Amino acid sequence: MDAILQVENLTKHYPDFTLDHVSFSVPKGTIMGLIGENGAGKSTTINAILDLIHKDDGMVTFWGQELSSAKQLKEDIGVVFDGINFYETLTPAKVGKIAKAAYSRWDDHLYKEYLKRFQLPADKEIKQMSKGMKVKLCIAAALSHKPKLLILDEATSGLDPVMRDDILDVFLEFVQNENHSIMMSSHITTDLEKVADYITFIHQGKVVFSKRKDDLRYHYGIIRCEAAVFDQIDKQEILACRKEDYQWNVLVADKEKAKKKYKNAVVDDAAIDDILLLYVKGVQTK
Amino acid sequence: MRSLVLKDLYNIGHNAKSMLFMLAVLALILIPTSGAPAYIIVSAVLCSMMIVTTFTFDDNSKWSRYAMIMPVSKKNLVAGKYVVMVIFCVIGSLFGLIVSMIAGLALRKMTFDMEGIVELLILALVALALSLVSGSMSIPLVFKFGAEKARVLLVVSIFVPLAVCFGIYQVLVLLGIELTEQLIFVLLCCSPVFALVWCYLMYCICCRIFEKQEL
Repeated sequence: MDAILQVENLTKHYPDFTLDHVSFSVPKGTIMGLIGENGAGKSTTINAILDLIHKDDGMVTFWGQELSSAKQLKEDIGVVFDGINFYETLTPAKVGKIAKAAYSRWDDHLYKEYLKRFQLPADKEIKQMSKGMKVKLCIAAALSHKPKLLILDEATSGLDPVMRDDILDVFLEFVQNENHSIMMSSHITTDLEKVADYITFIHQGKVVFSKRKDDLRYHYGIIRCEAAVFDQIDKQEILACRKEDYQWNVLVADKEKAKKKYKNAVVDDAAIDDILLLYVKGVQTK
Repeated sequence: MRSLVLKDLYNIGHNAKSMLFMLAVLALILIPTSGAPAYIIVSAVLCSMMIVTTFTFDDNSKWSRYAMIMPVSKKNLVAGKYVVMVIFCVIGSLFGLIVSMIAGLALRKMTFDMEGIVELLILALVALALSLVSGSMSIPLVFKFGAEKARVLLVVSIFVPLAVCFGIYQVLVLLGIELTEQLIFVLLCCSPVFALVWCYLMYCICCRIFEKQEL
């Protein structure tokens, strides 16, 4: 499994927050979803990965090389932040000219194709565009220099479901090439359920887990039970739990085992949203 | 770096009309009252200050973050700003020169003889030097304090170079070097070179400031 991006013990201290020894990797040909509540450290992680902030410890390598010592790697990385980074009086045509002057592999034809596909008029000023159009413009600009890794920081937040679906299709097309990968942070976990191959969950600056999405989908489960059954559950098996009005919700890593073991309890599949909620709002035991 | 320069020129394009209008109004006020020299200098310095406006645009769109994910270095970004500033200064000086020539002819305050043209050309060179000095000093201020706070401090970028010039003059007086007309002429002709050296110093300071900044 070749990793395009390898993050090891990434640490960054702020007076009120610490990104604490974050480690994960993004393999070739996959989509990695970075999830976590607001303020969990997703954007800090991305900023540190992209060398936009100074890291206190740890190492980040793209194709085995550090970005700070191999600036040409930036040619292979496309980035979309939350919000457009071009001034509002620019047009897609001008954005294309600016990006063309920056990237050696810029493909004007491809950019125009994306503009056409996303129905973005080349001469419309950014200030006259909707939020969705702006995101599409950023994605078109990020893809037209033919990157191998796409990094998206909450890029699809604030878009309606139809527009998000269109954009997710573009991402899926992108990773059809097995040398391409995407790392996307999002708190819209349903998007990640659709497209991600791996999920990395960051909570309070630490990685809770970094796993294949299918492992979560097929193995993780939530035991829903009353207090009496909860007391019988082996506490070693509990990843996180939360008491609601009349029942306990207990996250376990092996739902089939739980189904066999606790016949008096209901064991549901765990959606990423459920997992995130239990870790953030419940009691984390592991 | 070409992309960074291009971006600033596109961004400032929208302000070009209002700048032209302001320079036209100033031409009507300054040339008849204070003469061509004042107008050429004001035109050049005003244009050089447009560099601060480009930072405001950058701040609004969080451009610096984006620029750093493109294949450019922090030094490239700083250098790009200096190139744009030099372009603004050259445009401002040339604009002042051309308008002054036209106004001088229209008001019959200037004749197209060699002496008059050389005088205006030297004035344009001095204006270019002054605008380069003040403009180049405004850039580290903006990098350090941000575009909005730096606007208040811009007065520093005008007075510090004047203070430096005054200091040099005092040193020359102390050393007993007489400022003859010929020496002044040579100094004025060389002023853009001094200004470029000053620009390089400011560029180095900017690089140090920006290198430490997180985006």
